[in-house]
Amino acid sequence: MYISLNWLKDYVKITSKIKPENIAEELTNHTVEVEGFINSAAQFNKVVIGKILEINPHPNADRLRLTLVDIKSKKLNIVCGAPNLELGQLVAVAMVGAILPNGLEIKESLIRGEKSEGMLCAEDELGLGKDHDGIMAINENAKVGEAFAKYLKSDDIVLEIDNKSLSNRPDLLNHYGIARELSAIFDLTLKPYEKVISRKWDFLSDKENKFEVKVMASDLCLRYMAVAISNIEIKESPAWLKDRLIAANQRPINNIVDLTNYVMFDCGQPMHAFDATKIKKIVVRRAEKDEVIETLDEKNRILSADDLVISDGKEPVALAGVMGGHNSEITADTTELLLESANFIAHSVRKTSQKLGLRTESSVRFEKALDPALTELAIFRFLTLLKEICPDMKINSSLIDINNVNQKELIVDFDLEWLTNKIGQEIPKDNVINILEKLGFILEDKKTEILKVHIPSWRATKDISNKEDLAEEIIRLYGYNNIDSQMPILTMDLPEVNEERKIERKIKNILCLKNSLNEAYNYSFVGEDQLKKLNIDFFNYIKLANPLSGIQNILRQSLVPGLVSNIKTNQFKSDSFGFFEFGSVFFKTVSNLKKDNTEGNFLPYQEKRLGLVISGSDDLIARLKGIIDSLFKNILNKDVEAEFLVLENVPGWADKNSIAKIILLGQEIGEIALLNQEVCDNFNLKKGAALAELNFNKLVEIILSQPTFHFVDTPKYPPIIRDLAFVVNEKVLYNDLRRDILKFNSLIKSVDLFDVYVGNKLAADEKSLAFHINYLSDERTLKSEEIDLLQAELINHLDKTFEAKLRNF
Amino acid sequence: MKNKLQRIREDFLKQLAEIKDPNFLHELEIKYLSRKGELSELMGGLKDLSVDLKKEVGELANSVKKELQEKFNEASKALNNFSGKNNVVDVTLPGTKLERGHLNPITLVQNELEDIFTSLGFMILDGPELESDYYNFTALNVAPNHPARDMQDTFYVDLKNKDGQYDLLMRTQTSPVQVRAMQKYGAPLKALIPGRCFRNEATDARHEHTFYQVEGMLIGKNINFANLKSFLEIVGQKLFGPSTKLRMRPKFFPFVEPGNNGEYTCFLCQGKGCRVCKNTGWLEIVGAGLIHPDVLRAGGIDPEIYSGLAFGFGLNRLAMLKYNINDVRLFNSGDLKFLEQF
Repeated sequence: MYISLNWLKDYVKITSKIKPENIAEELTNHTVEVEGFINSAAQFNKVVIGKILEINPHPNADRLRLTLVDIKSKKLNIVCGAPNLELGQLVAVAMVGAILPNGLEIKESLIRGEKSEGMLCAEDELGLGKDHDGIMAINENAKVGEAFAKYLKSDDIVLEIDNKSLSNRPDLLNHYGIARELSAIFDLTLKPYEKVISRKWDFLSDKENKFEVKVMASDLCLRYMAVAISNIEIKESPAWLKDRLIAANQRPINNIVDLTNYVMFDCGQPMHAFDATKIKKIVVRRAEKDEVIETLDEKNRILSADDLVISDGKEPVALAGVMGGHNSEITADTTELLLESANFIAHSVRKTSQKLGLRTESSVRFEKALDPALTELAIFRFLTLLKEICPDMKINSSLIDINNVNQKELIVDFDLEWLTNKIGQEIPKDNVINILEKLGFILEDKKTEILKVHIPSWRATKDISNKEDLAEEIIRLYGYNNIDSQMPILTMDLPEVNEERKIERKIKNILCLKNSLNEAYNYSFVGEDQLKKLNIDFFNYIKLANPLSGIQNILRQSLVPGLVSNIKTNQFKSDSFGFFEFGSVFFKTVSNLKKDNTEGNFLPYQEKRLGLVISGSDDLIARLKGIIDSLFKNILNKDVEAEFLVLENVPGWADKNSIAKIILLGQEIGEIALLNQEVCDNFNLKKGAALAELNFNKLVEIILSQPTFHFVDTPKYPPIIRDLAFVVNEKVLYNDLRRDILKFNSLIKSVDLFDVYVGNKLAADEKSLAFHINYLSDERTLKSEEIDLLQAELINHLDKTFEAKLRNF
Repeated sequence: MKNKLQRIREDFLKQLAEIKDPNFLHELEIKYLSRKGELSELMGGLKDLSVDLKKEVGELANSVKKELQEKFNEASKALNNFSGKNNVVDVTLPGTKLERGHLNPITLVQNELEDIFTSLGFMILDGPELESDYYNFTALNVAPNHPARDMQDTFYVDLKNKDGQYDLLMRTQTSPVQVRAMQKYGAPLKALIPGRCFRNEATDARHEHTFYQVEGMLIGKNINFANLKSFLEIVGQKLFGPSTKLRMRPKFFPFVEPGNNGEYTCFLCQGKGCRVCKNTGWLEIVGAGLIHPDVLRAGGIDPEIYSGLAFGFGLNRLAMLKYNINDVRLFNSGDLKFLEQF
């Protein structure tokens, strides 16, 4: 939003001591963010008044002429195509180096072979209107050589305000509202709005009134005011009006349209003027399904029953609060108009404007919930100004006012002691009262400690409703930066430790620092194509109702797709690398997390996973198993061993010969697998990848359920270590053999595999597994002889159970 | 037996002196010093001697074994160190290359913040990323028709409630955890909530639909605006250095009242003005305020007894500023060349 300083001066006295930069800074500190300010004179830099001394035909172009222009300091040769050139005429000359408001930069150039040292300007090029038919007419009293800005008396400063910072302040989207804030910030007197309006008009009586207005959708239209006016002459607006609209970044159109815009920028109420001869009556109603309106911008808009329209009883003539209709617009021939000043419900306007992609100055204001009292002030303000620019105008209706507003005045008890506690320091009562009164709050009795504060209508729509809201008014105007900071005094307590987060961080450090993996953050969303390439059926996946794209429209149920894409992204950047990721996955089943404040409603189940992937050429599965094993040992600070068991359900992306369940302390905790060749091909992966996915929530559970660690005496007696290699059928699993050896006798403390052999020294379906078997007793030194005996029994036992034969080297 | 011992000693030392190749060392070790070597074998015979002799020869054998072992170690060390043809070794050769892993910069910044607040006695809390409309909006005082609830701004998922409406969404902020925490722990409460959030907007160098926030809240008796201010001050000083100043400005958030943003002295130019702070000398970093009474109520806390403060940071922005990263998409790119710098 653009705010003109000259316009503000209509309502508050801004002395020369208050510099534009002060205003920008203080508004930002107390009210809304000012993004910058524009000095209106600066935009006419290097534009001066000149006089045409000669006009000659252009040798190479019929439409162009060569002029010699006097700008006092020198005489310039300028090529010009305008038809309205006359000798002795005064013109606006843009010299070389000028950058015009429309963005055009003036350079010395050759135009069809003739030198041109500047440009004679038309209105539109100067941002002063839309006229491009000829050069702009300059008053003959102007001085040759004078700066064009000085000629225009252009001495305004325009503040640019960030609309986003106004989202909860519908009262500030206009000059009067900003003036009110300035009056509170700089302690200035604010001119009452009543002083700039006249309420005395010759409205027709209700009996005489011919215009019928009906509001059918009173839930979407809080108030509809209208007045018919005749004897209007449509013409260009006077200079002061055009100047102000230009300052507000609004293109002047004609006196009536300009005036509706002016009032909107003045007090915040959007208005619309219909050509009264084109409409018989006004009916405010919901649109019919697929009803069409051609809006002022000459585009057809297809409507639905959610949209509110103004109709003439038959067809829509305006899109309520958004834009007028082409069929009823003011034209050069209009002599009678019907002026609308209404209050439409914010969300309805917003929905319509958003759905149609049509954001206007009007819709932007209605969206924020405007004060319904404003409709009346705006009508009187319009009539007051109209009388100035169309003195012959005649009121041709009653003051139509259909008022569905049913809100009582809001009164808030404001306890000053409470305020002191809320802020942490006392703000003098006089300051509090002054701030509230400057902002338009009415106080019943200023002597009491609990002030009864009447909330003005323009702050009551959604902005202020309780004492906390009032506290904000006091704090922000007193100045956030004027309040002394003070650390809270709190009772000490021992906060609950988030073990999960602690473990997560520890795991990240182990994987990163010890195993050289990199931490990936992948999106929670995956795409159909991606899942299809991984042979994953996504029938049961939660999908986004409104995705940005088909590439990311499904909520992931596994970290695998993301990790595969990490491999793909980096496959040419490094020979061998790996990633891990912590991330949530989402399921349609129900969790134990409450969904709302009612009983029995729960969120979908979500689980945190730890995903791992490595890529390269060596034995990937063995390496990844090693990483997982080392992770378990480190995170549990204990010589646990990761176990890997056969997994029957093979996901479509996994190699069915290289997939296993991961077991930690007897509990299944995840899966590990090699990516199969088909999937590698689908993604054009040049090297293989091994992936593992662990249920992190379960891992945390296991870790936390471990008994407290205690030191155990180091072994008093020496161990006896025997190395044995067994030849078994290839289908016998290492883990079964290992478990069996371990539980064979309590003297066997550990079994470490140190070699696996398959080859031509054995039969084709055989393999050899070689173990260090560690015998240890807590009570005595073991004798070689007893271990020999035990070993013989073990060999015998394994022969019976697995048909394992001791390997003969 | 003593003679035998002497002979073994002499043979060993003689052979050791002749060795120039470290590979032969091992053979020597096995022959004399191993468990089944000559020395051990000889000592094995000790048990057959008389008690006196056993003692005398035993001591001698032990001292010889010690001497030989030491000499062997010396020779072994020397040989292994100077193994070049002319005993020249390039000591500047590098060690074995060990890969280094890398954490995501978001994790680094998040850890830093968690540590600051843990030291102040805050709990670190998590919450679900797939949230309900109730916790993400309603409980946070976001009105039913607030723009944030639009499909344009929020990702909804395709699960409809009994009334046929979408009421489950990807959380747009970490704030729903505020209300969940209040319900679980009550007051007083000190918590820091980091996490992944989502907005339905197209990505470019400055916008991401998946981003990270950290927010803090403190609820107690008499928590006031001056407390909020000093909290924001120390956070700034911890993050950006002890001379960092705070500037507060009004800003509207539905779940706080009053609400403000906080700007800190630009740490790149120390407030002098630079490209990053757009020559203002200040960086807008934090959104904050006193918790709205309606939000406390939604969390089951009586706003007439307790009050609270809350503040939030964008982790992406903090990381971008801290490490001078100019494209927000890099965080979720999984690009090694990006990660390898951290």
